[in-house]
Amino acid sequence: MFYREAGEFKTSYQADQAIFPHALDRGFVIAMVVFAVVVVPLIATDYWLGSILVPVLTLAIAAIGLNILTGYAGQLSLGTGGFMACGAYLAYKIATSFPELNLIIVFALAGLCAAAVGLVFGVPSLRIKGFYLAVTTLAAQFFLLWLFTRVPWFVNYSISGVPTAPPREVFGFLVTGAESAASTRYVFVVLVTIALALLAKNLVRSNTGRCWMAIRDMDIAAEIIGIRPLWSKLTAFAISSFYCGIAGALWAFCYINTVEPTAFDINRSFSVLFMIIIGGLGSVLGSFLGAAFIFLLPIFLNSLPGWFGVAISTELVSHIEFMVFGALIVFFLIVEPHGLARLWQIAKEKLRLWPFPY
Amino acid sequence: MVGMDATGDGILLESDGVSLSFGGVIALENVGFDVRRGEIRAIIGPNGAGKSSMLNVINGFYHPQSGTITYKGAARTQMRPHEAAVQGIARTFQNIALFRGMSTLDNIMTGRVHKIRSNFLLDALYLGRSRSEEMRNREFVEHVIDFLEIQSIRKVAVGRLPYGLQKRVELGRALAAEPDLLLLDEPMAGMNVEEKEDMCRFILDVNEEFGTTIALIEHDMGVVMDISDRVVVLDYGRKIADGTPDEVRRDQRVIDAYLGVVHG
Amino acid sequence: METLHSVFVQPFIEIWQAPAFFVEVLIGGLMSGVMYSLVALGFVLIFKASGVFNFAQGIMVLFAALNFVGLLDLGVSIWLALPLTVLIMVALSFAVERLVLRPLVNQPHIILFMATIGIAFFLEGFGELLWGGDVRKLDVGIPQDVWFVGEVMIQQSDVVATAIAVVLVLVLALFFQVTRVGRALRAVADDHQAALTVGIPLQHIWIIVWSVAGFVALVAGIMWGARLGVQFSLSIVALKALPVLILGGFTSVPGAIVGGLIVGAGEKIAEIYWGPIVGGAIEEWFAYVLALVFLFFRPQGLFGERIIERV
Repeated sequence: MFYREAGEFKTSYQADQAIFPHALDRGFVIAMVVFAVVVVPLIATDYWLGSILVPVLTLAIAAIGLNILTGYAGQLSLGTGGFMACGAYLAYKIATSFPELNLIIVFALAGLCAAAVGLVFGVPSLRIKGFYLAVTTLAAQFFLLWLFTRVPWFVNYSISGVPTAPPREVFGFLVTGAESAASTRYVFVVLVTIALALLAKNLVRSNTGRCWMAIRDMDIAAEIIGIRPLWSKLTAFAISSFYCGIAGALWAFCYINTVEPTAFDINRSFSVLFMIIIGGLGSVLGSFLGAAFIFLLPIFLNSLPGWFGVAISTELVSHIEFMVFGALIVFFLIVEPHGLARLWQIAKEKLRLWPFPY
Repeated sequence: MVGMDATGDGILLESDGVSLSFGGVIALENVGFDVRRGEIRAIIGPNGAGKSSMLNVINGFYHPQSGTITYKGAARTQMRPHEAAVQGIARTFQNIALFRGMSTLDNIMTGRVHKIRSNFLLDALYLGRSRSEEMRNREFVEHVIDFLEIQSIRKVAVGRLPYGLQKRVELGRALAAEPDLLLLDEPMAGMNVEEKEDMCRFILDVNEEFGTTIALIEHDMGVVMDISDRVVVLDYGRKIADGTPDEVRRDQRVIDAYLGVVHG
Repeated sequence: METLHSVFVQPFIEIWQAPAFFVEVLIGGLMSGVMYSLVALGFVLIFKASGVFNFAQGIMVLFAALNFVGLLDLGVSIWLALPLTVLIMVALSFAVERLVLRPLVNQPHIILFMATIGIAFFLEGFGELLWGGDVRKLDVGIPQDVWFVGEVMIQQSDVVATAIAVVLVLVLALFFQVTRVGRALRAVADDHQAALTVGIPLQHIWIIVWSVAGFVALVAGIMWGARLGVQFSLSIVALKALPVLILGGFTSVPGAIVGGLIVGAGEKIAEIYWGPIVGGAIEEWFAYVLALVFLFFRPQGLFGERIIERV
């Protein structure tokens, strides 16, 4: 009743190619964007803005990055944390070395450096696949983290080793540092997220994206019909690392306000992998859903006992968290390998027909 | 749609003394034949005769240990598959090699990949060349879709399609590349009578309307006799006959190795 | 200039000047390597038999050790605790087969791999739920003294571990080569569908193999636990078995041994002699980078099989 396609005929391929070909979808998304950018900062609490939305959006960017590499291009990576660390540490280095530089440029440069590093660690993918590649991405993860922890140059020889992120303004608004308001930080992050999501959506629907998916599905056939695996895989690594780098920089500058290695360790890599598995491999929407799910679940589990008036130690909750995560991964892989995004799609398809059964 | 080649005698592809082996296993031994422009050339023979290997050599996936492949007048024995695609060779596979995670439309669009000049930056911004090429290619692919009568399954993920339709989509992907030489590896395998008739019709149409030269591997003798202009017979990696379908059918060596005697 | 000297010259001078110490480091590393090999063995078993890359092998080591130590701490005698733990690992393999492997039977290997990551996380939480997250000391009566060969100091516990590992490997190698079950396992690794077609009972095979891997994990867990105490970091250490597999080849039992030795010795030597130059803790990444470099020259590992892809 509410979700109709009948009567919508596309008169040009241009219209059919649009990201949201259905007028209803378009309207919905535009409304969501306006809501997110304009309304939310006005009505949400600082806690929600600064401690929930900012990290979820940042992680969504990382999830999009990993989805590009693993979900679309089929190259399994366990090095996400390492590439995020690249972005964070290099952003710090660049921001402190060139204090006058616009923060957006700083982040962009940090992202490019992360992309270059990703390119280097992507070279093995030309000869190796699957689990072997996963192990080499582990090399990236452990080596990069070691590098940033042990080489004090990156943190400007700070005594503690974990410096605070420098306060910086964008167009007159303070978006990093302890003085900045949660709402300004949020608006900055949400705008960056929307921009990057749009670029990603364009990419995966284009020739580049098709080549990635071809390599993922059947790389030998892809090469035979003329796709160049070298170029395709390397661009996947580079672009993915770019996204992860930006996410890392945002995490350090706009969320935890410090540049520390533990935020980007092997657990982060697994966490982001879980996000794209549960959210949906090969789906930009799935990256958002997965990020929200994985980030909010522990918070939910932590609060749950309180709602029932039962007191459970945090240690116990963390053990249950692990069990729930593990079980959910297996559950999603069995029941719906395309994750929450596919469930959303199915729901929409049901809505198209409602109230008719078929 | 057909480009011009360098030779004037109408030979598009020539294999000369091609030998191919894997470790100790000989796949092809001194195989030589030619394919003329605009013809439909069948490659037949018992299982394991080296037919698929021959196709793989032609499109550069395997490199023969000896012998030459001359395509469009130039020797191209060490060609890589990517180059083969750019040079106008497209193919289908015995065990369908479609990209299961993508829709029919996207799969066929991948056939256009070597015609695309855009890069990932333009793709991300969906500007300029990325947009215009996408539209142009989409238009061409829609022609292919119309030609193969698969409009209704355009947006369906190919993994969900029945076998016969998947074969058709794979043909579509090859056609989208606007090939000069189309290699078909058992295009009718596993099909029922109606599907075979449809596929025959498409192959003949492609050959007649677009002038595409076709080399196909096929086991169904009826099909081979009906649609091919000339036939090459392989057995244990060697060529044992080469000629028109009638000539080959009466060749004693072919009968012994493969055809058997026609009864009744 | 000085850096070049310290990297390419100095360490070798140090080795030359104190050979006994070098041998000690080498042996210590090799012994470490034996531990890695034990963990890698479990991987190889499961991969050989089912084509599944069991990411949870490391956690299984921890899980087995936790159960064992937990039972011991509860006062159960070691002769009862051992078979009980084995039983627990067998029960685990039943559960894994029923709940994870069977529903995913024809999925691509990458999906199964990710499922084992899920199993790993589940087991980690479950194990700590049952027994708590504290470090536990494990004492199974392994002699803790040292022997001296000339000037070189050797840990007795390391020798015992090596002996046990050797025995285990021989038994396993025999099992695969000689017994009917072993041959069936190899068939299954090649092709699930084909194995089903010829009547090999897939479910039984998987349960057997995961149980054996569970037993190997228990042995590894006891050996490691006696050395380091039973704690979570055991599973991080076990992650290092992955580079071992790359060096040795994923399908090779001798490869797991040799790979483990190379990794163990390599990382110790690198840490002691080259570590100080760059600030230490090279062990965090050395094994992985070694594997990475190795992949360029010999992707299938020292003993692995070359896979030829056909279209």
